[in-house]
Amino acid sequence: MLTLQVIANVWDKHLMTMRTIEHLQMFSIALLLSIIIGVTVGVFIYMRPKTANPVLNFLNIVETIPDLALIVLLLPILKLGAGPTIAACVLYSILPVARNTYTGLKGVDEQYTYVAHAIGLSPREALFKVRIPMSLPLIAGGIRIALVFCMGVVTLGGLVAAGGLGTVLQNGIQLYEKDAILVAGLWTGLLAVFLDGFAGIIEKKLHKRYGTW
Amino acid sequence: MVILETVLDATWEHIVLVYTTLFVSIAVSIPLAFASLYSKKLEFVVMKFANLVQAVPSFAVVAIMVPFLGIGFTPAVVAIMLRALLPIIKNTYIGLSNVDPALIDYAEGVGLSQWQIHRHIRLPNAYPAMFAGIKFAGILANSIAVLTAFIGSGGLGEIIFQGLIGYNTRTLLAGAIPAIMLAILIDISFTMLEKKVTPGYMKK
Repeated sequence: MLTLQVIANVWDKHLMTMRTIEHLQMFSIALLLSIIIGVTVGVFIYMRPKTANPVLNFLNIVETIPDLALIVLLLPILKLGAGPTIAACVLYSILPVARNTYTGLKGVDEQYTYVAHAIGLSPREALFKVRIPMSLPLIAGGIRIALVFCMGVVTLGGLVAAGGLGTVLQNGIQLYEKDAILVAGLWTGLLAVFLDGFAGIIEKKLHKRYGTW
Repeated sequence: MVILETVLDATWEHIVLVYTTLFVSIAVSIPLAFASLYSKKLEFVVMKFANLVQAVPSFAVVAIMVPFLGIGFTPAVVAIMLRALLPIIKNTYIGLSNVDPALIDYAEGVGLSQWQIHRHIRLPNAYPAMFAGIKFAGILANSIAVLTAFIGSGGLGEIIFQGLIGYNTRTLLAGAIPAIMLAILIDISFTMLEKKVTPGYMKK
């Protein structure tokens, strides 16, 4: 049974405040990189349709490697610590962001492009002022999928000495403390849901500003 | 040395596992996405649940299945499904809810029923987003289907783990290469399906 007392005990024993901060640090670096790389890749393959299939298939192959294996594979290259975890996160999150960005950009109605062209926007302006805002819901959706994903991968990273909340889970498993496993597991899940909700609020704000209809 | 027959059998098991799960996931996701259009409450619950399941490392999801459902094919299907739901539901919902309201107004003006609007306007509009989600979920399913070999689902994971345990690169590759080919096959097969179902008036 999880009472407040039990939670407080686990929290203090495993230094969970510090672990949460570590966790969120790794998570935010990973997510930021994923968004930048993912959106860039998405825009790039949209601009050069010939590259779309090879690039997406390459990302598909990366995505095929189970997350645990990916972190282990990166260990010899990036050494112990947060490096492999962040790298695995990014590699894992590029596909949902890039694919959604690409789909969103492709789905923008031709009419809008004509109008943008007609009022004298350069292709770059048309991309930033018309296409990207119009495909915002899908891009944001991709980012939110990546966000929740990253949470899982960062937790997994804790099992290979990256710090963060995964470490608490690891300790719980090794010392066979059911409470620690439960508290850390639930807390990670709640953080993911909470951050996703936060992302949703940002998305709504952006949508109000650049909203299409 | 791995016998070709073993690899083919495992590949077949893998394909069955991945596609069964995908079709079950699609069958669950799409009605849920439609229902979410009508009820904000349901959307909230569905998304939160899918997010929660997604935030747990895939390895853990597979492990959690054992005390609940034992080992074998069914728990593997459930484990993979839990992971595959989020991308499909999310993308389908975004696609369905982002239809130009003017279009819906026209459709109502012409006298189409709610059902016809869903069938001929919202759904085709959601296809690109929906299929992007399905392809992504398919690739994920393929990856987790390797992991579920741990809980006795069969498939290519068994050969891969054999290779890992025995430190035998050949065996490992005999499992890994078909898995990678399958990832590409999933992508191609759903791209074809998408082309097939997209009505002429939606094609660009």
